[in-house]
Amino acid sequence: MTPKQRVMTALARGIPDRVPWMEGSVDESLQVKLMDGRRDFTHADLCRKLGMDAFGWSVPSGGAAKASQAAFAGPQVAKAAFYHPSSVTFDFTPPWIAEMGRDSKTGRLFVKKGLLTGRDKLHLFEEFLPDPHHPARYAAVAEWIARYREEFAVFARIRLGTASTIESMGLDVFSIMLYEDPDLVKQIHRRFSEWSAAVVEHLNAMDFDFYWAFDDIADTKASWIDPAMYEEFLKPHQLLVTRLMQRPWVYHSDGNISPVLEQVLSLGMSAIHPVQPSAMDIFDLKARYGQRVCIVGNIDLDYTLTRGTPEEVEREVKEKIERVGRGGGYIVSSANSLADYVKPENALAMARTIDQYGWYEKAGAPA
Amino acid sequence: MSEYRLETIRNQVVSGRRADALAEVEAALAEGLDAKRVMTEALIPAMNIVGQKYSSGEYFLPQMMIAARAMSEAMQRLGPHLAGAGYERKAKAVIGTVSGDFHDIGKNIVKMMMEGNGYEVVDLGVDVSPEAFIEAVRRESPHFVLLSALITLTMESMRGIVEALEQAGVREAVVIGVGGAPLTHKFAEEIRADFYAADAYGCVERCNQLLETAGAHR
Repeated sequence: MTPKQRVMTALARGIPDRVPWMEGSVDESLQVKLMDGRRDFTHADLCRKLGMDAFGWSVPSGGAAKASQAAFAGPQVAKAAFYHPSSVTFDFTPPWIAEMGRDSKTGRLFVKKGLLTGRDKLHLFEEFLPDPHHPARYAAVAEWIARYREEFAVFARIRLGTASTIESMGLDVFSIMLYEDPDLVKQIHRRFSEWSAAVVEHLNAMDFDFYWAFDDIADTKASWIDPAMYEEFLKPHQLLVTRLMQRPWVYHSDGNISPVLEQVLSLGMSAIHPVQPSAMDIFDLKARYGQRVCIVGNIDLDYTLTRGTPEEVEREVKEKIERVGRGGGYIVSSANSLADYVKPENALAMARTIDQYGWYEKAGAPA
Repeated sequence: MSEYRLETIRNQVVSGRRADALAEVEAALAEGLDAKRVMTEALIPAMNIVGQKYSSGEYFLPQMMIAARAMSEAMQRLGPHLAGAGYERKAKAVIGTVSGDFHDIGKNIVKMMMEGNGYEVVDLGVDVSPEAFIEAVRRESPHFVLLSALITLTMESMRGIVEALEQAGVREAVVIGVGGAPLTHKFAEEIRADFYAADAYGCVERCNQLLETAGAHR
């Protein structure tokens, strides 16, 4: 099988030739370490080096840092950067409508404060959101897919509107407004979801293999809202996006989404990610839901990949392959992303372990 | 009558009915009910119930937040009466996410639960340096220093903050609590923190226990 066939088979809950490996994000500084200091490699070069099967993240040779600089420079600059990206990107997430801060050490942006705190702030949508129909970004990305895909699966990073709503309102304001002004929450979510829906209609006409929707709704304790609230406030708007998707898709939320798992699964995704081990039991998930959805992730980022040894990585990855990979429908991935603080030797151990133990035999169990 | 009034306030705070809770507090004060009784027999027990419901999974974040807001506004209403009665908060806590960590959701939840349970909380924000914690300890004289980290990378900053407090000679004046997704009891012990709490209400409970043990209400 090609890497792409391997991923698509697993997303359809089939049994590929080997348990695939993919990551929603790989920090560029880690990429450089994994590529022995080189910065001139392509997405496919890194995938080949690690045995990874899909990409949708950026690489240093694409000039990724410029995109975040644009976001920090304000909405107008960010809009222009969205239309005419100066770096190779497969990212179609809307900007946060928020005051942004920047870590002086890493340059990484973070949300300081959501700005959609009341009805008088709704005009900010026009200021911040780029036109989802602007053709330039789609044309550029189509060319990049054709140039870089080789035999790998390529995914677009998107949102369903939920994370945009929560981050742009602030979790505290979002929570209060569910009671104080529920229609405002719905209106804001609908605006973000309509934007993503418009984007997805364009993506459907492109050569992406699948979509990866990043919408955090939980912390390690539980989902932030209960099932009834999910049904009322999130799902109707998320469906505006998901109903249009003409590709398999992966749903991502950090944390423990168990309280609303039935509601989440009713959206009809192909796979869920990242199944944080400190928050969810992947073995229970596989037993209960493995017939409904592919499972992606669960290699621990809190300890194993970041502070553990290569031997510990091997033990954990091998166990997940054997127990969750059995019967197909599992894709190895970290429990969030390959962050810059993952030990390079542990990422390499992950690669070796997948190659050593991830190949399926005819009976459907990895060796 | 007063027992019924206190129970009503308690129930209204638990269910986050802010306007109703405030009206009941007004009525209680008008009837001559002691403000300190309203606080200790209605508001603080209400937030204990809310905390337990949140810990058990019955309450989610929004339910907890509207209850905390009802509690906070009721406390503000009681404020002038409590000051007159010589009331002071349970204790003071300084809180922040440690150097390099910009994730503040967990820290904000802990802050809200602590305030809802009668603590005064000084929020230092995100990416707080060891020097800023030392300065806050000297300036605020808190009973607790609460450190939050979401990612593995910044856990080591916690160790640095504990060591910096030690070196500055203010470590023994405070109780240090740590929390965040990648943390464990073991790590808390390793860096010589005083306690680890798995969630926001766990933090409140540990602070309450430590205060009771020490018998110290600053």
